[in-house]
Amino acid sequence: MRAGTVFGKMAAFGKSLFCCQRPLNSMFIFGEKSYNTDMKHRAVSEIKQEEYEMKRSMKKMTSIALAGMMALSVTGCGGSEKAAETTKAPAAEATKAPEAAAATEAGKETEGEPVTIKITWWGGQGRHDYTQKLLDAYSAEHPNVTFEAIPSGWDGYFDKLSTQAASGSMPDIVQMDYLYISTFAKNNTVTDLKPFMDDGTIEVADIDEKILNSGKIGEMQAGLPLSSSILAVSYNTEVLEKAGMEAPADGWTWEDYIAMNKAVADANGEPSALAATGGPISDTNIFNYWVRQHGGSLFNEAGNGLGYEDDAITADFYQMWKDMMDENVAPDPDEQAQIATLGYEGLPIVTGTAATTIDWNNMTSRVSSINDKLKLALPPTTGEADSKGLWIKPGMFFSIAETSKVKKEAAEFINWFVNSEEANDIISGERGTPVSSAIRSYMVDSGKLNPQQQDMFDYVDKAAAVAGETPAPDPSGIAEVNEAFANAGNSVFYGQVTAEEAAKTFREEANAILERNNK
Amino acid sequence: MAMAGKRKKKTLDSVLFHAGTCLLGLLMVYPLLWLLASSFKSNDTMFLDAYSLIPQVWDAAANYASAMTGVGGVSFLTFLMNTVVVTVIGMTGCVIISLFAAYAFTRIKFWGSKFFFGCVMMTMMIPPQVMVVPQYIILKKLNLIDTRTALVLPWFFGGAFFIFLLVQFFRGIPKELDEAAEIDGCGKIGILFHILVPVVRPAIVTASIFAFYWIWQDFFQPLIFMSTTRKFTLSLALNMFLDPNSYNNYGGLFAMSVLSLLPTIVFFIIFQRYLVDGIAMDGIKG
Amino acid sequence: MRFWNATTNKEGREGAQETDSPFSYENQVTMQIKQKGENEVKGKMKTYKRQDNIAGYLMLAPWLFGFILMWLLPMLVSIYYSFTDFNLLNTPSLIGWENYIRIFTQDKTFIKAITVTFSYVLFLVPLRLAFALFVAMILNKNHKGLGLYRTLYYVPSIIGGSIAVSIVWKQIFGNKGVVMSLLAAFGITQKMSLLGNPKTALGVIILMGVWQFGSSMLIFLAALKQIPTSLYESAMVDGAKPWKTFASITLPMLTPTIFFNLILQIINGFRVFTESYVITDGGPLDSTLSYVLYLYRRAFTYFDMGYSCALAWVLVLIIGVFTVVLFKTQNNWVHYESGEE
Repeated sequence: MRAGTVFGKMAAFGKSLFCCQRPLNSMFIFGEKSYNTDMKHRAVSEIKQEEYEMKRSMKKMTSIALAGMMALSVTGCGGSEKAAETTKAPAAEATKAPEAAAATEAGKETEGEPVTIKITWWGGQGRHDYTQKLLDAYSAEHPNVTFEAIPSGWDGYFDKLSTQAASGSMPDIVQMDYLYISTFAKNNTVTDLKPFMDDGTIEVADIDEKILNSGKIGEMQAGLPLSSSILAVSYNTEVLEKAGMEAPADGWTWEDYIAMNKAVADANGEPSALAATGGPISDTNIFNYWVRQHGGSLFNEAGNGLGYEDDAITADFYQMWKDMMDENVAPDPDEQAQIATLGYEGLPIVTGTAATTIDWNNMTSRVSSINDKLKLALPPTTGEADSKGLWIKPGMFFSIAETSKVKKEAAEFINWFVNSEEANDIISGERGTPVSSAIRSYMVDSGKLNPQQQDMFDYVDKAAAVAGETPAPDPSGIAEVNEAFANAGNSVFYGQVTAEEAAKTFREEANAILERNNK
Repeated sequence: MAMAGKRKKKTLDSVLFHAGTCLLGLLMVYPLLWLLASSFKSNDTMFLDAYSLIPQVWDAAANYASAMTGVGGVSFLTFLMNTVVVTVIGMTGCVIISLFAAYAFTRIKFWGSKFFFGCVMMTMMIPPQVMVVPQYIILKKLNLIDTRTALVLPWFFGGAFFIFLLVQFFRGIPKELDEAAEIDGCGKIGILFHILVPVVRPAIVTASIFAFYWIWQDFFQPLIFMSTTRKFTLSLALNMFLDPNSYNNYGGLFAMSVLSLLPTIVFFIIFQRYLVDGIAMDGIKG
Repeated sequence: MRFWNATTNKEGREGAQETDSPFSYENQVTMQIKQKGENEVKGKMKTYKRQDNIAGYLMLAPWLFGFILMWLLPMLVSIYYSFTDFNLLNTPSLIGWENYIRIFTQDKTFIKAITVTFSYVLFLVPLRLAFALFVAMILNKNHKGLGLYRTLYYVPSIIGGSIAVSIVWKQIFGNKGVVMSLLAAFGITQKMSLLGNPKTALGVIILMGVWQFGSSMLIFLAALKQIPTSLYESAMVDGAKPWKTFASITLPMLTPTIFFNLILQIINGFRVFTESYVITDGGPLDSTLSYVLYLYRRAFTYFDMGYSCALAWVLVLIIGVFTVVLFKTQNNWVHYESGEE
């Protein structure tokens, strides 16, 4: 240990430095009240005594140094041991893709041999607990497979993942978000799953092609979607009843939507038209639906610019929400910030002052333990039939790191995760509506679902019937585009610019961002 | 008469002082009280009465039980032990090594001291957010990723804040003091520990308090450097509680926050005594 | 503290030839200042003793080891990144000064972030220091229960960045919070809450910074403890008024600590991250988007690490200028007992 030699040298050099007669306790025994430091009383003649004391001090000093070294080396040993254990799995600086076929072959060779799979995901306490159970169950079935689980909160998940990717040490299986999958795919940090789908390691027969393709970046299957979600309006039946309103009917229009919320808002004196926890412009999902309803698509095919021409689409969207905010029908950005603080559990629709929220179709089951009076409806239309605004969005993916040495085993686990009844019994829909239709019907038949989960599953079938094409995966730079969209929108909501100006600003910024990120 | 008046004034002063400081103190700890109250509330109704300090539905037992159970199959006590070990080792190294460095900067005239002091200041200026990726790569080369050493290492070898703090305090001590000691035959380390350390004891206590708290709640670097849950510190464990996109156990989170704050507060209460009983007080007594 | 008295007495004796009041507290302090000048002259003859060099580097060695490993190498790497298009996932390739040019020519958010950060530092630093010193002075007296008060005032610094604090602050300054009700009671009504209003949100963030004055307070307390009581005693003998004692003893003796806190707060002020990250996440309308929050987003949300490193080094330059200027001025106002510059 280098630190050790440093200390050692210091102790050796001590002979010329040390010559004081006091033991080295002043530093460590703070309690000693009247520590005598009187210089004048120090006799210069006590040389023998000095030498003795010097040795004592040196001993102490050395022991400190030793303690420090030990502290370092003990933990250090633990580390290298650990590293030795798992050197099979990670590492390897070479991020450049070996042939996928070769990887498959390598996989076959190691079949049956003990392997360690590193797997990482984000989530809350509940997800961590059952996922751990899931891994244990899989290990019990496949004794050669052990997992190294790396659970994380959402905060910092991608900070860590990208740092690991930067040093070529991404875990083998990573839970991936739609926001970032194209960035990771384009930089060849995740592997193409196509060969595993082709050779049947991952069964995809029961997975809808649209949703499957959402994990396809260019020619590469960068991730396997685990769940799907579709935009939905959740409404609070009690609040509507109290206000004497009918539940929303399929095919209702934005005018109906506004009128309903206005009636409730006027009755309660509180904003009623919510959107997720962050509001209608916190990301571009609701806007994406709006653009598709108006016959456009949010991004162009190359992903390097906006996909619609008419800025009036953006301006109308901003203006609609601005008008609702002005009439206290929807929360203004200020109230929105308050709502966001309290999260899902504190949403006014859950606590019973708001009537609707536009969110994903797992909204009602998520809060079912707090409020079971919420139901799902299709989002409002423009009034024109067949506008095909809805699409099935992948909830999250599993991707396999390009640097992984256990791709085959990882793929087998993903297959088990997605297609086995056993796994889904444990997951029980917590990661969203399962992508496999066979699993969906199994779960519905099992009778284990609560009414809200049942509702969530039913909604998928209802919405899929009216949904349009699944758009190409969000391009790289989407996080920054979302930010620009929110900023432009907020400047309208705060009354600083008109909706038209904001629409123009958004187009300029979004195009610049997309072009920079998708050269 | 005059005496009585004086005493009266003194009592009044005292009452005013206590009333004022208490009131201000309440303002200071309000968030802590809120945290404590919330840790007693039932998770499902927590935000219905978010603004009240008195829980409507009590669920303290369940919250604290879930906090003790921990997260990801690792118990609270494991996280606590990890944190204590890392904090104590890190703090000790940090304070002692900073002490040596500060002494060198103030009391020894050596070639390049100004340059290196500039380096110390520089490390304070650079945002840690851009340092973490290179640091990760270095630790990985040393095979230290996901080890407790990686948690201790950034602190153990001293820190700019501590060096600068001690430098300022050392410079507040007359040089005649060590010169006298030197004439009496005291070596450099002798001077440091027998002359200077007792005088700057309040500063050392302060530095220890800061080091303890900072290592205890260190978050960003550990987040990047650590992977295995059972090696996590408390701040990392707390982060695992929340996912904005799913149902969250806020009750457990708040209970665990309270439990993880307790040691830092206790540590402070114990050590702040030495701020009072600093060496300067001895002058009055003796 | 006998040894201290010994030295101060010695000086007092020397001073006796010049002034009538040899033990005057003022005299002691001024003597020190005079001596500083002499030491400076001594310092000009810079010949380093070999033994001192060895001793110095040995003392510095442990820190130096950590510095090279955890700071110097990463710094060099991040400087390199700042000249590349590194996005965390690719192999970085050099692009010259492009990142720096982009910062100063195309980046509107950079200007916004730097404005926010400068105003934050400008208001926070004096307010926090004044408050910290004030409370430290109060808590340095001999009242009962001081330990409790010290703890109370330090607590905000401990729970600084937690989720609880974020929720509480949003609640207090939110549209249904205590502050709004108070304002309404005084007849000030506005639709927007203080945190939701782009004009006032930064003010709340600054206020929160002031509220966390605990660490500066602790440092002041430690420094107050270090002032030799003999100085106060002689002042008392001279019958000096409290404010005069403060101005001629406490303040000069505190200047190294004030200097320390000032430098520290300026550096930390420029690097403010947690407050805006936790409470407002930069909003509303980027009105609380601090510089470091912005570069953090660039690095890890927008996958633009090269650019973020460039931003970081621009910040280091800005802070560096402030620090160097302050260090240059310390000759004029910071008083060191050790008589150094």
